[in-house]
Amino acid sequence: MDQRDLELRNLTYGLFVELGRAPTVREVAERAHAARDDVEAAWRRLHDAHALVLNPATTELRMANPFSAVPTAYRVQASGRWWYANCAWDAFGVCAALYVDGRIETSCPDCGEPIAVEVRDERPDDERLLFHCLVPAAHWWDDIVFT
Amino acid sequence: MNLFRSEEHIERWLDGRAPGATIPVAKLTELAHAWWHDRISAEWRPHTREQNQAILEGLGLTGAFWRLP
Repeated sequence: MDQRDLELRNLTYGLFVELGRAPTVREVAERAHAARDDVEAAWRRLHDAHALVLNPATTELRMANPFSAVPTAYRVQASGRWWYANCAWDAFGVCAALYVDGRIETSCPDCGEPIAVEVRDERPDDERLLFHCLVPAAHWWDDIVFT
Repeated sequence: MNLFRSEEHIERWLDGRAPGATIPVAKLTELAHAWWHDRISAEWRPHTREQNQAILEGLGLTGAFWRLP
């Protein structure tokens, strides 16, 4: 990852947090004073480096982990906004990345019962819950959306 | 990568599939903070595989399941 791609990656993440949603290629290009084609090419390289995730058929962001660009089963209230996270790990990651307390809302994938967890000082308020990771670490990036 | 109410719910959800790894949510919170804390920093640099493996091992997440490629 060269310095320019790193700068565009960090700008993309910064805009995600500033806007409360995924920025578009145009928004990143305008802020970076760069050509849209250059941002698209950088995003593709960053996607290949697992530094962000694009939609397969477009140049739209799908994930800027731990943030999700699309609605998911993991909603996080933090820094005065609601965010979507890609999974349970990322849901706690949103609080970690923003350096704030927060509230995670989801539902049990088995029974559908709502689950809500408050995160205070980097601790969950309900320690009875369990996290299950189905895919071994060696295969997380084989299909990151499934993982 | 999901949250469940209990082992019973995980087993039912697996419905015969081979289980992965289960950890308490408090451990997950520690993991999330170690893994993601620098993600929006302007000083962020890509983690190396070794850095990420060290985060997992530091939390006791060892063995073949947690071995990164």
